[in-house]
Amino acid sequence: MKRIKFILFGFLLSLVVQSCGEKSTNNDDKLKSAPWEDIEAIAEGTTVNFMMWQGSTAINDYINNYVVPSVKGKYNINLQISGGQGPEIVQLVMGEKQADIEQGQVDMVWINGETFFQLRKVKGLWGPFVEQLPNASLINFEDSYISTDFQQPVNGMEAPWSINQFAIVYDFEKVPNPPKNIPELKNFIKEHPGTFTISNDFTGMTLLKSFMAELGGGPNVLDGAFDENKYKQLSQKLWKFINDNKQYFWKEGSTFPKEQSKMNQLYANGELLIAYGFNEGGIEDKVLTGLYPESTKGYAWSNGTIRNSNYLGILYNSPEKAGAMQVINFLLSPEAQLKKADAKGMDSNTVLAMDKLDTEWKDKFLDARKRQYGPTLKELEVNAIAEPAPEYMIRLYEDFRKNVIEN
Amino acid sequence: MRIKKLNIGILLFVLVGVVPFAAAFIYALLYSFGIIGVANDGFTLQFWESVITSGTFFKSFGYSFLIALVAVAISVGGALWITLKFRQQLETRFMSFIIYLPLAVPGIVTGFFTFQLFSKGGFFARISHKLGFITEASQFPDLVNDGLAIGIIFSFLTMITPFFVLLFLNVYKNERVEELSILAQSLGANANQISRRVFLPILLKKTWVLIVLYFIFLLGAYEVPLILGQESPQMLSVLIIQEIKQYDLDKISEGYVVAVLYTLIVSVAAILLFLPKRKRAYAT
Repeated sequence: MKRIKFILFGFLLSLVVQSCGEKSTNNDDKLKSAPWEDIEAIAEGTTVNFMMWQGSTAINDYINNYVVPSVKGKYNINLQISGGQGPEIVQLVMGEKQADIEQGQVDMVWINGETFFQLRKVKGLWGPFVEQLPNASLINFEDSYISTDFQQPVNGMEAPWSINQFAIVYDFEKVPNPPKNIPELKNFIKEHPGTFTISNDFTGMTLLKSFMAELGGGPNVLDGAFDENKYKQLSQKLWKFINDNKQYFWKEGSTFPKEQSKMNQLYANGELLIAYGFNEGGIEDKVLTGLYPESTKGYAWSNGTIRNSNYLGILYNSPEKAGAMQVINFLLSPEAQLKKADAKGMDSNTVLAMDKLDTEWKDKFLDARKRQYGPTLKELEVNAIAEPAPEYMIRLYEDFRKNVIEN
Repeated sequence: MRIKKLNIGILLFVLVGVVPFAAAFIYALLYSFGIIGVANDGFTLQFWESVITSGTFFKSFGYSFLIALVAVAISVGGALWITLKFRQQLETRFMSFIIYLPLAVPGIVTGFFTFQLFSKGGFFARISHKLGFITEASQFPDLVNDGLAIGIIFSFLTMITPFFVLLFLNVYKNERVEELSILAQSLGANANQISRRVFLPILLKKTWVLIVLYFIFLLGAYEVPLILGQESPQMLSVLIIQEIKQYDLDKISEGYVVAVLYTLIVSVAAILLFLPKRKRAYAT
């Protein structure tokens, strides 16, 4: 009997000892100025954990069947993927901060504006590191859609991975003339009640931001730092528009789809006539996989839809920062970006500047971008709006719930 | 030796069952007062105040309570009726297999299944469309993500009714209700009197603890209302997760307030229900 007690005691003791014994390797700051060869040498043979959104088969296919074997073959890095986006990443970082964990579980993350804002708020990111990456020289940081993330300068704390624009999705056989502004939308939903909705997630709130800019009178109304008065004034107009018309929304506006994927299904099965989303509507792969009808098209709102970039960051307590830098550098290489741009694959726009590439690569990129169904980034360009400050999104989430859903 | 064995049993129970739960509760409690949390600045009552004044919690609690109550009432009633009427048929192999089957299906699958069957683009909507009852998807009635929680209640019923049927069948056998019924009959009771005076009291008295536990289980259900619920009001667990995972880091503590309140209410209710009556329940 005593033996069991000893075992239990020993087990507990070892737990305590282990949790105290974590030592940090504080050579990390040297990586910010070390020559790239040194970083490559440290990165060799490491295991890098990458936390990313795994909600798309095309993305998973790109990562698991191309990126993972490539970094293994080229740099002997074991890249391990775990699922998680925005809130999960922030929760993880907050939890690890709370527990003083110096060797985190995750090295690199796929994020954009909002998560960037939150991670910086809790000092969860490591950097700046982007200038150290050789392939960063192929990116045009003069482009404000790349160097500014939700009105926040990126300053080398996250590396751009791809750029895209929000687009509205419709079926041209069912809806020959889709609405292009708020008054047209009002008429449209009166004629076709129940065929439009706002998803209660990132995507829906992004649509609301572009609506708010339109109600404010122009594409650039929300530029600059968060403005409480402007927000109050414009959001009131927005809630009034939605509440006055929500009896024509899906389910008479009594509830809203929890997320974009649900809205996409509603569009696919014909309940909704209009859907929307980032990545120029994400139409190509959904038509190719048969979810959307071939008569699906995408367009931008006439007052503009949001264009933004998404980024790769390294966490403050990443155990393998050099490995993460090597993987990110590979993801920014023309080879990896070209593969990612394939319209039949992940179909995502490169962040590399065409004028900084060799002609050979340039031609390949132009060739890869040929979409059969969805609009291209170039086509939507004239109607692009920059992401407003992150506080707008945070407030919209809360107030959409208060003023519309619970109303 | 025997006492020592018991001690180790208790020690293990405390280690595995009580310590993690207590630790999580204390963590949530500290978080709810802003004492811990990377985005918090120290002790404050602000989160408690805003949760209690906003009323979302109480609405959500009432909503969850009603859904759980309706689901338990219908499934217990249904199971009693099935036991009373189809006892003999249920003893055949095939039927008992049919009854066991839903028990093996996880809640999340039941949720998806219900969605596939009853949504406006689902199985029944398609059949109605083919048969010409409806011409557009939107004409099909709201059965999932709806205000009356029909989809949620339906899923709960398919999940727990089989369990209650099996439970009642066992109690029926073990408590010799059959023999007691024959006895009552020979003393002159009619069928109605037998079910009201013999069948129901014995079955309910023997199983009420489990019925209440199932009610509490449904009160905290997560996957089914996540898939089939609407955005407001939401069932409690969905609300808690949504608050804890929200984008506004300054308000994450509100999720912990809801979690603490919910735990307190359920614990107090469980203590009130089970402690004083425990002796009596086993004495009968």
